[in-house]
Formats: sequence, structure tokens, C-alpha cells
Amino acid sequence: MPYKTSELVDAVVIGTGAGGAPLLARLAKAGLSVVALEAGKNWNPMQDFPTDEKAQSKLFWNDERLSAGNDPLPFGSNNSGTGVGGSTLHYTAYTPRAQPDDLRIRTDFGVGEDWPIDFDQIAHYYDEVEQFLGVSGPANYPWGPARKRAYALGPLPINGAGQLMERGSKKIGIKTSPAANAALSAGYYQEGVGHRPGCANRGFCQAGCNIGAKASMDVTYIPLAVHYGAEIRPECFVTQLIKDASGKISEVVYMHNGQEERQRCRFVFLCAGTIETARLLLLNDLANSSGQVGRNVMAHPGLQIWGEFDEDIRPYKGIPGAIISEDMHRAADADFVGGYLLQSIGVMPVTYVSQMARGRGLWGQDLKQAASAYNHVAGINILGDCLPYAHNYMELSDEKDIRGLPKPRVYFSNGESEERMNAHANKVMREIWSAAGAKNVWAFPRNAHVIGTCRMGNDSNTAVVNADGQSFDIPNLYISDNSTFPSALSVNPALTIMALALRTADRFLDAYK
Amino acid sequence: MTIKYPVGTVRDLLTTDLVTEATRQALVKRLNTPPRQPTFFSTDEFTLLQAVCDRLVPQGETDQPIPVADGIDERLSGSETNGWRYDTMPTDGDAYKLGLKGIDESAQALFQQPFLSLTGGEQDQVLKAIQLMEAPGETWQTLPADRFFEELLAEAVENYYSHPIAQEEIGYVGMADTPTWKRVGLDQLEDREPRAVQINE
Repeated sequence: MPYKTSELVDAVVIGTGAGGAPLLARLAKAGLSVVALEAGKNWNPMQDFPTDEKAQSKLFWNDERLSAGNDPLPFGSNNSGTGVGGSTLHYTAYTPRAQPDDLRIRTDFGVGEDWPIDFDQIAHYYDEVEQFLGVSGPANYPWGPARKRAYALGPLPINGAGQLMERGSKKIGIKTSPAANAALSAGYYQEGVGHRPGCANRGFCQAGCNIGAKASMDVTYIPLAVHYGAEIRPECFVTQLIKDASGKISEVVYMHNGQEERQRCRFVFLCAGTIETARLLLLNDLANSSGQVGRNVMAHPGLQIWGEFDEDIRPYKGIPGAIISEDMHRAADADFVGGYLLQSIGVMPVTYVSQMARGRGLWGQDLKQAASAYNHVAGINILGDCLPYAHNYMELSDEKDIRGLPKPRVYFSNGESEERMNAHANKVMREIWSAAGAKNVWAFPRNAHVIGTCRMGNDSNTAVVNADGQSFDIPNLYISDNSTFPSALSVNPALTIMALALRTADRFLDAYK
Repeated sequence: MTIKYPVGTVRDLLTTDLVTEATRQALVKRLNTPPRQPTFFSTDEFTLLQAVCDRLVPQGETDQPIPVADGIDERLSGSETNGWRYDTMPTDGDAYKLGLKGIDESAQALFQQPFLSLTGGEQDQVLKAIQLMEAPGETWQTLPADRFFEELLAEAVENYYSHPIAQEEIGYVGMADTPTWKRVGLDQLEDREPRAVQINE
């Protein structure tokens, strides 16, 4: 339903990814007039998503960011997306739940931060999101609290990398399970969304799924939101949030087709992700009485271990993330804070060779020879907790982007805990690969999933939003995305972002109904 | 382990309905794009960049070389970025121009000749020194040599392995996905997946 910019709509939602889309659907279902502003395009997957990495680089947030610190974070193909659906357009769709103790890092370890909510307050949202997306997963997931319901669908087929990780792990006594993955192992129907087909095992999740089998927001919560009357405005880049005399935000200013537009609204939900959410607030000097906007940047230790095998693997086939282990969630011999999970990884060729160039510095005949083994490579990676540090933050640089706005500069350096975690994981993953028969094993150090910058908490001096995602400074401004996570969690963030988005929407609706 | 695959596999697949129309268009366009006249680099800079790329991703004697440097010139002409850069580096365009100047400075300092006049082995020595941050030359006092090398190398290999002919070399046929993939486990191949033709240990 198109609204007029002169009309006073109930809510403007900025960003249509994992933080914005579920919330948008919830508000629309409650009968609110809602408009979503999305910086990227509205893609047509069948036409616009070829099976080609270069052609799909348009799905990444390719506005330049400056990466500083000892372990500079890559963006673009890592950590960012653009288009209706946001970064979910190219997430691997691994959807493990956080465990209850992930939310109590400070209580358990004396460092980092606790969440202002406990597991019970998001568990039923996890359940709801999994059923709605049609998550495929094992009948009995071996880690974490018992589930209320089984996963919506049975597990996806296990590809070569997954079979090798199972084989190696079994030999050295590490428990594995088929992963929970938000790609459909069979056709799935949802009221308000329609029918989505089962996964074609195309292996292209980290680009964009061309058939809608992967639960990106554009084929799940966005159609649901539209079904309930929400309006989606693509190619609208928000530049300003205007406050009225009462200190509330009354208008959202955005650029569309080179024109400045304004949408009047009662409430604003900022869901633009860790970097752009904080950047917009810093640009407008808003919601920052705590001085915490842009602080506490975290990024999961994401070390990958690659190996070559005699077997034919064809790493382009099957869901990239097939097998998981959470045996290292609280490893007995851990000398670091929190824990990590292990995941098998398939990979597309350009991504693989590019990582090999960066990670191993290979070129010339050495590079070509290593690349010729592509069909025989398989990887394992970790995702582990990361502590918030004062030395990791983002700021506005002096350099301007194409819109004339300052580019963000992001500082990131792993601390001692993250270094120790990587060292532990390096040993474990090499043992698994050795037991599975790997040769030419090599490590690609990396950090995945940027998190933080607008922490939630109970204290307005140390947090930007409260436990409901509401700004301490501006009562009609809410934030719903990975920027509000007080700690990084030891799991892929997407499912938790969605669960938290639904909770934020419900808490808002309860308060203002 | 060197693994070889039959030539023509990807090109043969592109004419079938095993690929989607969107995929075919992207790959056929790349396959048929003629060599580029540079618009970002000067002719001299572009010739030097091509020579450097040939050492990073050697192609040997071939009647259809993959245009690695062309993609770099095209990207910089359109002021496109990959979404980030190291804070210690200047903008991509400036980094490339400076880095190419630095490569020639290092070649002069090490061999008293421009890079283009050196043998392949000598060119490799220059590039290796840059990668290891041991190359002489004024440019490397301001431009971080290792980061420049990493960025150049990554872009060169991305351009190379995005090309259908390079994908044939490594036996990649992931683009042929319209019938879906049924056989995804270890040693499970579909008929359309090429078999290695020769393995030399």
C-alpha cells in the first residue's frame, strides 16, 4: 500500500534485512501504517541472480569503508548486503540458536557484558522464526536446551565437505550434527508468503538464491509484511532524522533518484546494521548521550582451515554449511572467554582462490597449481565469541563518499582471548582434517560478522538502547539489528537478530497499543 | 598434485539449458568481450600492469588470453570499489598508479632496467621483494608494499578465475545448475561434471 510522504505514518523502518523485515511484518500485522526505506534495489532473483560470483557482487554493500586496527575487517562480500532483504540475500543461512550462557558472559567470566534479557525471553521467538522460515535441521539437535518443537523440515543432504568433517570428527571423538539451515529441504507453504521450492543444492547461498529456497527476507518476512499492508521503498538512502521541538523524531529524510524526500512518522525503527545504523546516528549527532554509539565493535573469530583430499568433493555443490559441532561451546581445556562452534564449509571458486591469494600469498605457478586442486578442497571454520574492547570502534572519517557523507572508519584488533581461541581452534580443526585424510592443510585467519556499536543494556550511561531496543535519549527511536548485541555470541547472528526483532516489535506494540 | 580437466567443458555447457538465461548472459559476455583500450590507466601504465598480471597469474601461450588487467581498468574507470580498503592505503586508483610507479622504481634499483625489459625470473624477483616489503624505491616509503601487493594479487586472481576459460582449467561447472544437483556427496559426480584427464604426482 503506497503512503504519501506528507502523510503521518505510524512507523518508518530503515533497512529490510534480518533486523527490519520481521519487525516490519509484525507492525503491519498489528494494523499500523508502516513504510520501509531500503538503500538497495528490489531484485528479481530469477532474472538478477546468475550463478556467477562476479555478477552477484552487486548484492554487497560496496560503498567504501576504511578498515583500521591490527586486524582490519573486510567489508563488501564480507559483512554487508544491499537490496530488499539486506545481508540475508547472501548469508549462508546457518541458523543455530545462541545458548543461555552466551547471554551471561560477564557473570560467567568477569569480563565482557551480559545481555539485559535472558534466554527464556527469546526462546519462543527462536521457535517462531524457525517454523516461519522453514528451517531444515536434525530431529534431535545435541546441544543447548531442549526444543519445544522439532525443526520445520528434515536436514539437507550432506555434501563432500560435510561428510569429511563427520568422518574426521568421529575418529577423534568430536560430536557432529547436520546443521540447522534456513534453506528448505522440501517445498514449503506459508500463509501470506506462498509456496517456496526445496533447495536445488546449488551451493550459491553466499551470493543470492535464485529460486527462493533460502530464507532471505525478500522471500519470507517482506512478502508477509506487504501482505499485511506495509510499503517497501527500495533505492531510498536515509541521510537525516529530524527532531521536533519535543525531542522526538518527526521526519526521516532520504535520497531517492537524486531527489531529497521526507517521510513524516510517529516512530522510527533503525535496522541498517552495525555500520550504517551507527553511522546515521553519528552523522546526525543523535541518541549518543552515553557516548557509546560506534563503540564496542565486535567480530566473530572465524578462522578457516582448508585441506586437499583424494576424494572428488566438488565444493560448489550442496548447502555450504552442512555439518556443525558445538562441542567447543565450553571446551574443558579452554584458555579463553566463551566458546566457539565448528562448521563445515563449501566454497565457490573465485572466493576460494582469492582467499588463497590473500591468506597464503600464493602467485605464479604455485597459485595455479593450488587452484587446480579446487575440486578436492574442503574447509572447516569456527565462529566464536568476541569481547567488546575500547580499542575497537567506528568513527566518521574526513573522506567523503559519493553522496558527500563521511566514510566510516572501523578499528578492529583481536584481543588476547580471541587470539587464544583461534589458536585452540587451529589445533582442533587440523586434528579433524588430519583424521579425515587431508593434505596441504592451510589456515585462513579471518573475522566474520561485525557486531556492536549501539549496545543494549539497563544503564543509559553505558548503553544506547534499553532491553526493548528503545533509545534512552529519543523515546520514539528504536534500533533492531546486530548493532544492539551486548556480546557477540558464539553462533551465526541472523536467527538471533530476527528473534530479537520480533521481541522488539511485540514490546513496542504492548507499550503503545 | 596437478589436476587437469578437458578443455571446452564450460563453453559447451553455456549453449545448453543446464544454465539459466541470466547465467549464460553473464558468462558469454565475459567470454566474448574484446581487449580493452584503457581509460583509467595511461597506455604505458596499462602495458606495465598487464605484464605484472602475467607474472601473478601466468597464462603461457594461448590464443585467447584472459583479460586480467582489463577488469581493473574498467573498475577504476567507473570509480567502483569492493566495499572497503585498508585505512593505511590511499584510494584504489591512487594506489594502483603509485604502485605501478613503485614497481618500475624497484626494477631500476635492482636491475638498472625498467620492469618490462626484465626476464620473467627477474620480474618475479622484483614482485617477490615487493610482497615481502623488501623492495627498494621511494614509493614504498609511503605506500605499504605488502598491502598493495595483496590487493593487486586478489583482484588479478578474481578477474582470472571469474572467466569461463579459467573455470574450465579447474573443472568448475557450478554454473550448470538448472536440473539441480542430486549427487552432492564424496566422489558422487553427475554426468555433466568433467572428469580429470591426467594426474601427475
